[in-house]
Amino acid sequence: MALPAAPRSRHLGRTAALVALLLAVIVLAVGLGSVRLAPGEVLGALWRGLSGAELAGNDVIVWQIRLPRVVMGVVVGACLAVCGGAFQGVFRNPLADPYLLGVASGAGLGATVGIVAGWPRGSIPLAALAAALAAVTVTLALAREGRRFPPTRLILAGVVVGSVLSAFTTFLILRGEDRARQVLAYTLGDLGFSGWRDVATVLPYAVLGCGVLIGLGRALDTLQLGDLTARSLGVPVERLRLLVVIAASLATAAAVAYVGIIGFVGLIVPHVVRLAWGANHRVLLPVSALLGGALLVLADLLARTTPLSQVGVVTTLLGGPFFLWLLRRGRDE
Amino acid sequence: MHKRLSLIPLALLPLALALGAGTAGAAPYPLTLTDDLGRRVTVRAEPKRIVSLLPSTTETLCAVGACDRLVGVDTFSDFPQAVTRLPKVGGLYDPDIEKIVALRPDLVLVSKYGKLEGPLTQAGVTVLAVNPETYDEVFSKTLLLGRIVNREAQAKTLVLNMKKDIARVEILTKNAVRKPLTYVEVDPAPYSVGPNSFMGVLLSKAGARNIIPASLGDFPKVDPEFVVKANPALMLGLDLKTARSRPGWNSIQAVKTGRVLDIPRDLNLILGRPGPRLPQALRGLARLVHPELFR
Repeated sequence: MALPAAPRSRHLGRTAALVALLLAVIVLAVGLGSVRLAPGEVLGALWRGLSGAELAGNDVIVWQIRLPRVVMGVVVGACLAVCGGAFQGVFRNPLADPYLLGVASGAGLGATVGIVAGWPRGSIPLAALAAALAAVTVTLALAREGRRFPPTRLILAGVVVGSVLSAFTTFLILRGEDRARQVLAYTLGDLGFSGWRDVATVLPYAVLGCGVLIGLGRALDTLQLGDLTARSLGVPVERLRLLVVIAASLATAAAVAYVGIIGFVGLIVPHVVRLAWGANHRVLLPVSALLGGALLVLADLLARTTPLSQVGVVTTLLGGPFFLWLLRRGRDE
Repeated sequence: MHKRLSLIPLALLPLALALGAGTAGAAPYPLTLTDDLGRRVTVRAEPKRIVSLLPSTTETLCAVGACDRLVGVDTFSDFPQAVTRLPKVGGLYDPDIEKIVALRPDLVLVSKYGKLEGPLTQAGVTVLAVNPETYDEVFSKTLLLGRIVNREAQAKTLVLNMKKDIARVEILTKNAVRKPLTYVEVDPAPYSVGPNSFMGVLLSKAGARNIIPASLGDFPKVDPEFVVKANPALMLGLDLKTARSRPGWNSIQAVKTGRVLDIPRDLNLILGRPGPRLPQALRGLARLVHPELFR
């Protein structure tokens, strides 16, 4: 590849440290909240649940509330980071994020319609999922040129579809004033009521979508040399682009439908990983999954223990400055 | 209850009118005061053509006998019956300024959250922001509105009657043997109410103990596990099915005993309206908290 890799051993060391960080964050996040549990108690509660003992007292909070919430954080964080990395690769655009093609505004509109119309709460993620996939389909249809999907047209179509859908969402919010707060909570991202059933619903999409993207790592690397070169090296560029878009949209749509629109994770995590691990997609995507998972769980921990209260606010408020600092540091070195 | 509410003011009307007539001689105009936006405003003469942009203000004006001065209301004003026939001039976010001006009002009463005062003042209309938010403000703003429309005596009578009706409920709830630990959900995000908010005060007067401490603020977004840990015996504002479907909430006492009650639409409407129907709102809430006291 054109990208010289750092010594393999250094990569392994960093990756092992990241896995340890993820596990530590999980134990910490399961331990902290309205009821404070020491790491030992967390492990004890986890063990009691796994050994099939009856859950009582704090074990209920650990198993039924915090653990599904934390697992959902890992899954969604990983998902957003992998999809962001894949989009940045396939569009060769550092500003790409998983919401580029209108997934978020589609999901936002679907959820808003459900909330304003007073549909049962359980059906709202389904409405969001359907609308998100519909939005991406419209974007793809608008961007199509014969059998090709040129990146610039895709990005432009995505931006336009996103703006139109957001305007419609705003219109609905103004019509249903008394439910505005609920819509706002959704559009700022919330892991609050994530239960095991939600995790089980999102997981297949996430595994399938991210699995496909990670499997396409080598092809994405080749694509960085430009469409022409990639084609001459035997990469079916158009099919690759379409496959990445579909896989990423499916995974993102499922995540967004259940936890709302969480900004910034999909944008900055791949960049952070690129700074430390290099731009090789076969490494970049799986490592992004680890870091994305850990970061989102941390952000959600801050969201539920501080007045920031919405995970999307935390990721953007703290993620932005952190990323700028990282960029400046990288330049000074 | 409805009957009594409407009969008492009626019985006092002659007296009130006499009082009103008594003060009318010393008509308080021009009346200069500071409104809820912190603006100094002068009401030059007794307002005869009023537009109200808050449902609670509309109700208060009618309750002090100034209903016939209203020439327009906002889209949410629906009580009393008489105001439903008035021209609607839009809501908080979509007021129709031209329509308001076309009604040639001599006073427009707005909330402090709209942005109407600028354009309307420029159009030469007197604009006052009167916006009760806390429990105590319901009474002080009622008296203020009474002064503004020269119905001061009626406003005093109204406040007196409201306090009497509230006392009737409080006598029952104050001495309740057990005051259930209660969680109120005003929005499924979930948002709840702090003890110092309008609804929080009504909740404690209804004989319930709020699980939300004052330190969380008036409208806090609540961490679901906080509710599980607090283990309330009563939950208001959601239904049992919803509560059961939330991860871990099955272990809450209120869910186990089925004391999870949606607030009926009518009651919810007046609970969100800091106006003259406050005693009715309190009674409705107390009925939900202590059904045994209201048989």
